[in-house]
Amino acid sequence: MIVVVGLSHKTAPIAVRERLAFDKERAAHLLQQATASGTLSEALLLSTCNRVELFVAGKDGSDATAVDVAQAAMSLLTQGAPELAPHLYSHGGNLAVQHLFRVASSLDSMVLGEPQILGQLKQAYEHARVCGSVGASLHRAVTRALRTAKRVRTETSIGAGLVSVPSVAVDLAKQIFGDLSGKVALLIGSGEMAEAVARLLQAAGARLSVLGRNRERVAKLAQSVAGQPRSWDELPEALKEADMVISSTSAPHYVVTRELLKEAFRARRARSLFLIDLAVPRDIDPETNDFDGVFLYNIDDLSKVVSESLDARKQEAESAERIIANEAAEFERWVDTLQVTPTIVALRERFRLVLEGELERSLRGRLKHLGAVEKDALGRMLEASLNKLMHAPSTFLKKAAADPSLDEAPLELVVSHLSAAFALDDENALASLRAPAVDLDSNPCNPSVALRPEAHTGTGNQ
Amino acid sequence: MEQLASIAFLFGVIGYSAAATLFFVDLARKEGAQKLVRVAPWLLAAGATSHLVHLVSASFLSRICPVESMHFGLSFTALIAAWIFLAIRRKYKFNALGAVVAPGALTFLISAQFVGRQTINSDIPPVLLALHVTSNLTGVALFILAGAGSVFYLIEERRLKQRRVSWIMNKLPPLSALDRTAHRLLLAGFPFLTFGVVSGGFFAGNLTDASGAALLRAGLAYGTWLIVAAVLLLRALAGFSGRRAAYGTVAGVTCILLVILLYILKPGLGGSL
Repeated sequence: MIVVVGLSHKTAPIAVRERLAFDKERAAHLLQQATASGTLSEALLLSTCNRVELFVAGKDGSDATAVDVAQAAMSLLTQGAPELAPHLYSHGGNLAVQHLFRVASSLDSMVLGEPQILGQLKQAYEHARVCGSVGASLHRAVTRALRTAKRVRTETSIGAGLVSVPSVAVDLAKQIFGDLSGKVALLIGSGEMAEAVARLLQAAGARLSVLGRNRERVAKLAQSVAGQPRSWDELPEALKEADMVISSTSAPHYVVTRELLKEAFRARRARSLFLIDLAVPRDIDPETNDFDGVFLYNIDDLSKVVSESLDARKQEAESAERIIANEAAEFERWVDTLQVTPTIVALRERFRLVLEGELERSLRGRLKHLGAVEKDALGRMLEASLNKLMHAPSTFLKKAAADPSLDEAPLELVVSHLSAAFALDDENALASLRAPAVDLDSNPCNPSVALRPEAHTGTGNQ
Repeated sequence: MEQLASIAFLFGVIGYSAAATLFFVDLARKEGAQKLVRVAPWLLAAGATSHLVHLVSASFLSRICPVESMHFGLSFTALIAAWIFLAIRRKYKFNALGAVVAPGALTFLISAQFVGRQTINSDIPPVLLALHVTSNLTGVALFILAGAGSVFYLIEERRLKQRRVSWIMNKLPPLSALDRTAHRLLLAGFPFLTFGVVSGGFFAGNLTDASGAALLRAGLAYGTWLIVAAVLLLRALAGFSGRRAAYGTVAGVTCILLVILLYILKPGLGGSL
């Protein structure tokens, strides 16, 4: 059974999250500790700025309950900081799987639909795999989670639109100009958001000019954003050269007026101009938007685009939840079929031994004269017969295991009757069937033909 | 041969219809449907290939050179436009144009079946006539694409001005790319149109029955040439671009579409295409 223990931005403030954050080394140490413990067999640690979660699986055949497994994981996670325990949550079984799928699909993220979490989960899985703490259960759960996230991304618009003002501004610039390489962005005044926009534009290839009234501040800002400092008097000239203007001053009046822009327009030769007004009160005359090729956006316009994107994502979340529920149910069915896998394997082994024994007897007796080719053909024939024999009981058992209307008790009854009917638990009976295997090549006078015991154990993908 | 023409026509219709539907679905969806975009151009290419097979086999059947009949001429224009779109689509990331090209090609392919099948009768040497018509058709195909690009430019520019941006994001190419594409298509089509207009003027002397409609058609063709030339000249000399250039392009393309409409409504005008 898979259990998750952890905390996230929903249950713990940043002051708590940063105390529990793991770097790679500490994470490796934790994973080793987890697998070395008597209770846990598998572990995977997902540590990001918004969450720290330990996914674990209990040891097969151990008597530990889900609560014991969760307790063990919780102790490991909070060792040295037990006061963090109240912030932790835990889920077991299908709830843990659903949680993993929701996390991978970015439904549990601070910004709904953000794509980074998928990469972070892949890294966490790869790290756990390298540390040797991933077994069949977590491998299956994580690969299914990645598949689910991919489905959610392709079948819904959960990742559509942009959800921050600076990213919307830059995307709009790209929608107007295409490639921003070599384009000139003029930053008027200063302000956190304006600087963020300027940095993003610069990262997209734009050249920056910084203009303001305070020369010292302009020089400092220009240095921090690797831009060209310009004095306030140069504004008309700078407007002629700029392709994008980001304005964020504290001026009580318009800084970029209609007249100023009209003057600059003659020299601009109808080049497009993207004006981003992040100031309140506004810096840029709204009438400038009337000019051909001028696109003016203020903070409200940009925020509206952000809000539309977020609303659209919230609507898409419902469809995403349905996909996740569907995938989690599929996963649960696969887990259920694992219960009957040992019985299927034992039954197959039983049939195989009977068939091999009879074949051996015949090859020593009446079929002694057969050559290697004929013996090989006989082996294949019996292999095919075994597969056909096993098909019906395997399908029946898997269906019964995956049937949600069937409780565990009837399934156990079926399994126990089957075991009794074919003496699957009787080691003596099985041992008597096991004929001494003789290597075909080493003793050609007394050959034996063996079926492939590893084939068709029935634990494949469901 | 007749069967081949019919089958190719059917496949052409299916290919164009499917491509048109997918391009429209992609354009109408909130988030571009990436898988549809990948399949749609292939369907369009399949439709255009079938279209070509149909055109060749049908012209063999009716023993008419494709560029010497109104029926085939229209079909030929749509075919050229489809192939040009497929060629430039990747470079300019302009899938939205498929929503115009695919239904346009489908319309021309089907409607051409119902247009009068008259061939052009004139005293003009067939080779020269074929050159004249091919040049005009290629120019028209390029102009139609440029016009569609300009219409998209105007839509996108308007939405950006009005700050209704959610729909256009990641769906239409950047404004500058639309402007550039329309300009290049116009530039590419201009020599063909020029040749068509000059050769048309030269051939006009051979025409004996120039009617009013023929004169109107010739006037519109010269008008188109003048508008396109003006747009290109102003772009080069006065930095004329963006909205004004788009309006100019749309005006030029409207004229050329009127010429085609005249051919459809008044076939057999005694003039070449």
